Amino acid sequence: MMSETKGIMRISWGPQHPMSGQFRFILETDGENVYEIIPDFGFTHRGIEKILEYRTFVQGIVPFERLAMVDAANVGLAYVRAIEDAANIEVPKRAQYIRTILCEISRINSHLYAIGLAAEAAGGYPAIFLWTTADRELFLDLAEMLTGARWSYSFFIPGGVRADIPEGFKEKALKVLSYFEKRLIAYRDSWLENEIWLTRSKGIGKLSTEDAIKLGAAGPSLRGSGVELDMRKEDKYEAYGEIDFRMAVQKEGDCQARFMVRFLEMIESTRIIKQALENMPPGPFKKPVPPKLPKGEGFARVETARGEMDVHVILDGSDKPYRVKVCAPSFRNLYVISKLPKLTKILVADVPVVVWSFDPWYLDADR
Amino acid sequence: MAELPIPIPLPLPDWIIEFIALNWETLLKIAIIPGLAFILLFELIAVWFERKFLADAMLRIGPLYCGRVAGWLQLIADALKLTIKEVFAPKGAHKLLFYAVPIVAPTIPALAVVLIPFGPDWILFRASGAGLLLFFALTSLIPVTTILAGWGSNNKYTIIGALRSAYLYIAAEMPLFIAAAGVVILAGTFDLVKIVELQSKMWFAIPQFIGFIVFFIAMLGASERVPFDIPVAEQELVLGWRTEYTGIAFGLLMTIEYACLLAWSLLFITLYLGGYQGPPILGPGTASGIFWMLVKLGIVVAVAIFLRVVFPRYRIDQALRLGWRYLIPLALLNIFLTLAMKPYLLAMLQ
Repeated sequence: MMSETKGIMRISWGPQHPMSGQFRFILETDGENVYEIIPDFGFTHRGIEKILEYRTFVQGIVPFERLAMVDAANVGLAYVRAIEDAANIEVPKRAQYIRTILCEISRINSHLYAIGLAAEAAGGYPAIFLWTTADRELFLDLAEMLTGARWSYSFFIPGGVRADIPEGFKEKALKVLSYFEKRLIAYRDSWLENEIWLTRSKGIGKLSTEDAIKLGAAGPSLRGSGVELDMRKEDKYEAYGEIDFRMAVQKEGDCQARFMVRFLEMIESTRIIKQALENMPPGPFKKPVPPKLPKGEGFARVETARGEMDVHVILDGSDKPYRVKVCAPSFRNLYVISKLPKLTKILVADVPVVVWSFDPWYLDADR
Repeated sequence: MAELPIPIPLPLPDWIIEFIALNWETLLKIAIIPGLAFILLFELIAVWFERKFLADAMLRIGPLYCGRVAGWLQLIADALKLTIKEVFAPKGAHKLLFYAVPIVAPTIPALAVVLIPFGPDWILFRASGAGLLLFFALTSLIPVTTILAGWGSNNKYTIIGALRSAYLYIAAEMPLFIAAAGVVILAGTFDLVKIVELQSKMWFAIPQFIGFIVFFIAMLGASERVPFDIPVAEQELVLGWRTEYTGIAFGLLMTIEYACLLAWSLLFITLYLGGYQGPPILGPGTASGIFWMLVKLGIVVAVAIFLRVVFPRYRIDQALRLGWRYLIPLALLNIFLTLAMKPYLLAMLQ
């Protein structure tokens, strides 16, 4: 435990900084010791919740995905599912499987990005960031083949998905996955078991199980602290109820554990995509939905790559939502980061590693 | 009675007189190798190689367009760009220190290169009694300049970077000095030429194996190379102690890293890898000496650059722990072993 004394120097980490992203942390330091991390929100506030009130349900999907572009499918799914919940729309089986596949592609994209950023955060120029970027290309290609877009898919609509699985998708996906499994081993050997990376991440930024629950950590940060909570298992939404996969949980609660959770989740994602491709049921891929939806209230929670994203929608009978409220995982994780110096010893050099081990996406925190 | 003015003779040391009386050989040494052209060319080639090598490891192409062949002119283009940018001191900076450091600092590692023999006679300044000592005396000035730069910049990042630099340098220089002491004990001299000549049969890397390893690791720390590039940690300190510098002042400070790497690599080769010794490919004498020095330099620098691809960065406390807890005891052990086994080791060298 750190003593209660405040630091003597304030350092601004961001918003114009090589590693901070579009965000600012104010660090209260004394020499190398960090006594307080104060997140400074609002650099990327766009008022997306308000924007959604002026867009029809289908139009709203596009700005909603801007909450976390790197994980567009999972985030978009949260909004679409909330609308479906409000209007009691059943989704065809085939659409659920296609959604699952795209969600897992999106999750792999996001986790690869996170692991690459960890490499950037821990050292000068390890090649890992560019390796993960190169491997993400394959999954972006897959997503492009499926949806026509590489980043912002806007592929899920209330009542199903926009298009069916194209011809040759299954073969290409299996090829990419078998290559990716080899690459995962390369990442483990060259990065996650790298000696110096382990000295930088093992035991750093430790978050105990109780603290993780008390402070409301989300996603891999929560599971890295040994809490078994995954919305895919909890709610069994889309096809996740019918697919066999393990929940990635690590006990240690340090930076390395959080990245191991992401690493294991990528392995599980490849398994999920394979199973979904195998068990793909025939049938329609969408159901017509009227532009105006009846009055109602809907709620959905989806396990995005950064954790549980909750969306609450109120419909007033028009073709636009009356109000949308989002509870974003990054916001919750940023709160955990701000409390972390009270729980464990953090040095200035640990700050990038610790922050990126929570993998915050500032855009969904600021909204 | 007025005192008679006493004519004061100027008893200049011999080496200064020799230095002033320039002959073509001295001129060649100063201008080409190991002087100005060599140091600048080394920086050019090392940076080019590093960029290309890193690019290859990162699945990129690297510099491509400048100079047609593999972008070899890119660094010169960058340097030109830096010269036409404005150099200005931030508000509240100590102007004299701020501007003096980029001018003074790069000369220190360059001065240290002067002491390195490139052939039996090809040495710019042979301090026969104290070559190695003089080298360490010169390189000890480097952290002074970094602290002055960091403090003179009036910036929080630079202060932290400068302090880290000082800590790291002390933790790296102690094992360097102690490891080099093993060589001195074995060779019985501080003269770098004599140390090289003793290695004609066997390089000191073998009888001084522990010192060899310790010296290499500590050398990376002293020249702030990955995994010890802690003072300029981009991820938390923007650019460490040189954050506030712009234009050509920044460019000059960037050369320090490579000049330090050059100086330490040359000393490493001289102490452990047989210096200019090698099969006389280009005939007996200086030419093959220079050739072997360059070959060995290329290999050592390539290894240092390779490490940059493989490793992330240590934290400052971890680097200090490595220095004080592992490298210094190992270097001391090396001294004791050398003292105990000196007759056997000397017999090995014959």
